[in-house]
Amino acid sequence: MKKTAIIYSYNSQKSKKVAEKIIAAFGESNIEAINAEKLTKEVFENFSNFILSSPTWFDGELPNYWDEFVPDLEEMDLKGKTFTVFGLGNQKDYPENFCDAIGILVELLEECGAKVVGRTSLEGYNYESSRAEQDGLFVGLPLDQENQARLTNGRIESWVTQLIKEMD
Amino acid sequence: MKNLEIPKIYSIKKTPKKTLENWFRLMTIGRAIDNKAPNYLKQAIGWSYHAPYAGHDGIQLAVGQHFEKNKDHIYLYYREMLTAIAAGMTSEEIILNGISKATDPSSGGRHMSNHFAKPEWNIHSVSSSTGNHTLHAVGTARAIKYYGEKAVAISGQGESSVSEGYVYEAITGADKEQLPVIFVVQDNGYGISVPKKDQTANRKVANNFSGFKNLRIIHCNGKDVFDSMNAMAEAKRFAIEESKPVFLQANCVRMGAHSNSDDHLLYRSSAERNYVIEYDPHAKFRRLLLRYNRFTEEELLEIEAAVKAEIKVSHKAAMNAPDPSPDSIYDFVIPEPFVSEKYPQGLHSEVGEKKKLITALNETLKAEFRHNPDTFIWGQDMANKDKGGIFNVSKGMQQEFGEKRVFNAPIAEDFIMGTANGMSRYNKKIRVVVEGAEFADYFWPAMEQYVDTSHDYWRSNGKFSPNITIRLASGGYIGGGMYHSQNIEGALVSIPGVRIVYPSFADDAAGLLRTAMRSEGLTMFMEPKALYLDPKAATVVPDDFEVPFGKARIRKEGDMLTIITYGNTTHLCLDAANKLQEEGINAEVIDLRSLIPLDEEAIINSVKKTNKVLLVHEDKVHGGFGGELSAIINEKAFEYLDAPIRRVGSPFTPVGFNRILEQAILPNADIIYKAAKDLISY
Ligand SMILES: Cc1cc2nc3c(=O)[nH]c(=O)nc-3n(C[C@H](O)[C@H](O)[C@H](O)COP(=O)(O)O)c2cc1C
Ligand SMILES: Cc1ncc(C[n+]2csc(CCOP(=O)(O)OP(=O)(O)O)c2C)c(N)n1
Repeated sequence: MKKTAIIYSYNSQKSKKVAEKIIAAFGESNIEAINAEKLTKEVFENFSNFILSSPTWFDGELPNYWDEFVPDLEEMDLKGKTFTVFGLGNQKDYPENFCDAIGILVELLEECGAKVVGRTSLEGYNYESSRAEQDGLFVGLPLDQENQARLTNGRIESWVTQLIKEMD
Repeated sequence: MKNLEIPKIYSIKKTPKKTLENWFRLMTIGRAIDNKAPNYLKQAIGWSYHAPYAGHDGIQLAVGQHFEKNKDHIYLYYREMLTAIAAGMTSEEIILNGISKATDPSSGGRHMSNHFAKPEWNIHSVSSSTGNHTLHAVGTARAIKYYGEKAVAISGQGESSVSEGYVYEAITGADKEQLPVIFVVQDNGYGISVPKKDQTANRKVANNFSGFKNLRIIHCNGKDVFDSMNAMAEAKRFAIEESKPVFLQANCVRMGAHSNSDDHLLYRSSAERNYVIEYDPHAKFRRLLLRYNRFTEEELLEIEAAVKAEIKVSHKAAMNAPDPSPDSIYDFVIPEPFVSEKYPQGLHSEVGEKKKLITALNETLKAEFRHNPDTFIWGQDMANKDKGGIFNVSKGMQQEFGEKRVFNAPIAEDFIMGTANGMSRYNKKIRVVVEGAEFADYFWPAMEQYVDTSHDYWRSNGKFSPNITIRLASGGYIGGGMYHSQNIEGALVSIPGVRIVYPSFADDAAGLLRTAMRSEGLTMFMEPKALYLDPKAATVVPDDFEVPFGKARIRKEGDMLTIITYGNTTHLCLDAANKLQEEGINAEVIDLRSLIPLDEEAIINSVKKTNKVLLVHEDKVHGGFGGELSAIINEKAFEYLDAPIRRVGSPFTPVGFNRILEQAILPNADIIYKAAKDLISY
């Protein structure tokens, strides 16, 4: 498998902890952590496999660290690169926009020609609508630390197993 | 309406540097004043109400930048300082409002701080009533559409106040009429301390309106300048090109407390108080300017320094500006009325055929609609074929003047009243007549707009007068029970800023209506509906008759007793006076015609002559207008009185439906006669 970058905010609360679990599941030597707060275009050139972390904020928005990167991201040619996105969200308090950020990022990545992997089943979640939902699957991995923290480890484990198969 | 694309006109990479610079400058001015405002209070200079806008920066910049002065119309809410600045108001003007100076362009220090306006540019004066100006924006948009202008009306508010019923009336009305109006709703998650989940089932309040046929809903990130600019550009394009309303919901954060009198530590965790500051839109914009190399740090610092210097100068100028003078309080309560040259006393001696009161009203309305092409009338049951007005007062008007000037309103009295206010803001030529409700009894839902409209002229320091005549079919004697018999003038006379007239004969009705429709300002025109067809109220009516406000009419001269009355009871008083006359008691009957302004001179002159006063009205004695009349006579003519003033009116009960109950409640000629006899023999 090619070199994989995992990009998450080092300032985040919950996403950071979850990212560390994913790194552990992946095996630290196979993955390089990058701080989303200090992201540059070059990072996207230097790797070919990416795991992006984007929690959803403010009723369906990207956090600033992603939103402020979008103007660069939009102009990138990501053909030949493989991405997957996980995102924290809260299906109980924000059921209308559950993990929207995953969907927003994936849409942008696909528009740039990226291959997006790591789709997961809708089963086990209870929400009203989500931009992360497409054709009966989530386009990434939603995690809900506020309502389903106990399911997170299992979800990560099977997702990482799936990613190892789906990433080049 | 399905989701449509929002074109990306603006972006950090493509927007010209000059534009970005201007935005940054405006945003920096705004924040500098927003941060400085609390100091004025701390130093006891003023600005005692300040609702900081920090966290709403993106959307407010966008709204203000899309406002074209003297063409578009905008209604800002109390948190919209940056919108005002981005619309062109100077830092000095903002501070003048904040510290309530006489030269404050919004109100000359009359209205609360943080209510920014500049009526001469169409930045309209607004109420503190949350969401109340949505109805005004709809009324203005109706005028924009009628006059075919390529412009838009914009109304700003927070998400919580969308709960107000009148906001729903405004939006459904704009949807139905397909009007070019944008409802900008800035969602910061709270109404003071109340989280939005306690206001709306859908977290995004805009989505409550998703079934509205012509309403376009646009969501944007109000914390992001570019997303907000693109959303607002599209909202304006759509509203104007399609002539349809837009609900633009902007996601914001409230970085601070609701206002200086709120302590958000009481209900927000420190984590929350931190993350709303992390999402500061101003800081984000600044970061973007640097990150994408559009500006250097030095360039930004230079702009910030220039702004600081500018604010210093503005502060000084505002501090040196004059305060409002205490003797200005009577200025602009109500505009000067139309002056009658032909009938300065509102009297005539024409002879000929008598007309019923309803005919007099109908013919006057039509004559005035011919006289002034900028007149409009609406109400419930206003026009459908042969029906014209709930009592057919406006019969035939739609046929003659068309359905753009004469039309049905929804069953929403506040909408009727609020859009009258809004439409008359479009220009000074417009005169609006509304049937405020089908019966005066149903005017209560419109009271918030009535009260608001009553002080528009004063609040705007004379810059805007709502030129509206409200017609209300009033009173009882028709067996209508408690919802078709009310007299509401007793409750209305305590509200300054409105003329209240209540004629009782056809000629006076015609003359007062003409004067109302030619005057600037707000007139409440009460129609005694029991007299519409009554031959007693029929008179000869000169075609051009005019009755000035504040001129009573002596309907019967006498020197032994003064009976003061208006409306339905004028006829009962005349009956009683005629009976008294048969007994040699010579009573004078004064028909007030106008309650506000009041003809005190006529009253006092009569009291001087008769020394005894009987006050008669149909409304309840308790709290009725007679109490005020009595107090005025006591204060100004006590020494001429030979007996206590007596009042006749309804008891302190509702009006019953069964005729037996109605008769037991409403005054009649016999009761008046007896009261007069008592008084005479005092
Ligand atoms: C103001 C606010 C808005 C939120 N909006 C959403 C949302 O729209 N959808 C969602 O799934 N979760 C939403 N959440 C939940 C967060 O995504 C969740 O708390 C997550 O764990 C935060 O991750 P972080 O601490 O790593 O940023 C919101 C949380 C907050 C505080
Ligand atoms: C008709 C009316 N009711 C209550 C108030 C008191 N009040 C002032 S601001 C406010 C909260 C409004 O919240 P929102 O509309 O969300 O706007 P925000 O202040 O949050 O920007 C309330 C209840 C008022 N001004 N008017």
